[in-house]
Amino acid sequence: MIATADSQRRWRRIFLIVGGIVAAYALLAPLTSLDAAQAAGIPLLTDKFWFRIATYVVMFVVLATAWNIIGGITGYAAFGNVAFFGIGAYTTGMLIAKAKWPFLVALPLAPVLAALFAALVGLPLLRLRGHYFAVASLGVGVAVGELVQNIDYNGQPVFGGASGLFLPIYAVGHRGLFFFYLMCGAAAIAIAVTWWVLRSRFGYGLIAIRENEDAAAVIGVNTTAYKVAAFALAAALTGLAGGIFSQWNVFINQDNTFPIEYNVQMILMALLGGTGTVFGPAAGAVLLQLLIQFLGGSLPISFDLPFVSSEARPIVAQVILGLLLVVVVIFVPRGVIDFFGGRTRLSLSYLRRSLRDTSL
Amino acid sequence: MNTAAEPQLELRGVTKRFGGVGAVDGVTFQVEKGEILGVIGPNGAGKTTLLNCISGVHRVDGGDIRWEGRSIAGLPPHRIARLGIGRTFQIVRPFGSMTVRENAAVGALFGSSAARRGLKEAFEVADQVLELVGLKAKADHPVSALTIPDRKRLEVARAVATRPQLLLLDEVMAGLNNVEIDEALEMVRAVHATGVTVLLIEHVMRVIVGICRRAIVLDFGHVLAEGEPEVVLRDERVIKAYLGERYAKRLRGERGQDSAS
Repeated sequence: MIATADSQRRWRRIFLIVGGIVAAYALLAPLTSLDAAQAAGIPLLTDKFWFRIATYVVMFVVLATAWNIIGGITGYAAFGNVAFFGIGAYTTGMLIAKAKWPFLVALPLAPVLAALFAALVGLPLLRLRGHYFAVASLGVGVAVGELVQNIDYNGQPVFGGASGLFLPIYAVGHRGLFFFYLMCGAAAIAIAVTWWVLRSRFGYGLIAIRENEDAAAVIGVNTTAYKVAAFALAAALTGLAGGIFSQWNVFINQDNTFPIEYNVQMILMALLGGTGTVFGPAAGAVLLQLLIQFLGGSLPISFDLPFVSSEARPIVAQVILGLLLVVVVIFVPRGVIDFFGGRTRLSLSYLRRSLRDTSL
Repeated sequence: MNTAAEPQLELRGVTKRFGGVGAVDGVTFQVEKGEILGVIGPNGAGKTTLLNCISGVHRVDGGDIRWEGRSIAGLPPHRIARLGIGRTFQIVRPFGSMTVRENAAVGALFGSSAARRGLKEAFEVADQVLELVGLKAKADHPVSALTIPDRKRLEVARAVATRPQLLLLDEVMAGLNNVEIDEALEMVRAVHATGVTVLLIEHVMRVIVGICRRAIVLDFGHVLAEGEPEVVLRDERVIKAYLGERYAKRLRGERGQDSAS
């Protein structure tokens, strides 16, 4: 439904106000846990438990927004971005645990190494198109995790092996608050980078590649360089999140830094929110990560699912996520962000039209 | 600087094989600066393959392609585009998620390196080009709202926006009706008038006669004939290639009677 320009503006204003209030609350509520705030008699609006969930949510904002650069804007469905998350986590983790570097010095190397690795594997991988690239990138994601766990030198695991890697706890007051805001900083960088990309020659080149790579090449876009740059940029942001995660979580191993399900989740978040847009992936990440936590039973407001025992819950959560993926791809192909700009409204005819557009 | 005698583009024995079949086989010709050269031939003659070789979409298997005296064979497409050779695709390839104006602007954002623009200027160039090809009124339309002739115009607009010195047009008239062909011819003339050399690939003979001073006929990857369009089209080998041996014989018979009477 195309609305008039007037109501378009009104909806956009409502969206901005509501979004601003939610963001402001999410950003400021944790501050009420500071001693000074407590002393001043400000009510506690959050607790440590929420810090952890909120930090996870923001981490996925980074992952989904980063994936959007290669998957959404450039149109290359990368299924192995978790490799960059793990590389970032292990870069920072190794530098802190083995080389005794301070965290804030070790952290900048996480995106650098992840980007270098992406450029290296991107050169051969990005020659593949469509499904071939998707499958090959998935392979890389799995392979890197296995390598990190299994590389030995003189009989000793180099990266901590199966028992993982322990980092010294970062000595900072209000740790939960510190890492939440640090992750928010990474998210802000990811969103700002996306905003810049979509307004630059670089971004127009990437979109041209997505829409038609041959046509992009003959108008003068260096497609190989652009694709590798987009991949490396996505990897750098993903690696940054990984680097923060390693010090935040204190313990890293293959399971928590190379989880295959992250690959699917970050893509689903970007799709749900709206690929190729600035805020879509972030919106999708918040919605979906809260849903994942809710279904997994981690939220205090969760309730029992009917007919489901507590042991079967994670499996049911996966099934629901899978169904959601199908529904989103078929009925909301441009993501929920589509409803917030004021140009379209969620209606039966919208869903019918989407179904028609996405079916053969 | 180039001497006046030097051709803008020169093909020397250009060969491209697909699985042993020579789609383009030892093609040699020159394109002079400022001309409109027609390349015609029946289906499968190798016209599009030839264009793909020049624009770098295909790597040539033999021979050389020289642009202003320098070999460009083997260069990737974007390098060739930056030298100032623009092209269209026979099956149009618009950037579907962009508006008409954005499509043209992307051409101006990239394109020949001599004419690279910033974002704001690129959109100004886009507006000029859209006016030139007659799409100005539809600048803010999404590509999906365009008719087939308009999509062909957009294909040309995007290529022109790259500010090429040589424009390779791959069957921009194919699938158009007579009125639309006349409009498209006007558009090609308008583009040519801005100082662009045009290499026009066409299946439709009428187009070539109407606009080109010189035409080259391709058949089975070879140059069959070269010269003024009217002369070339009366060439018996050309008629045979297009219409078959029997028709050529019948035509020969008719002409014999004509000269006898």
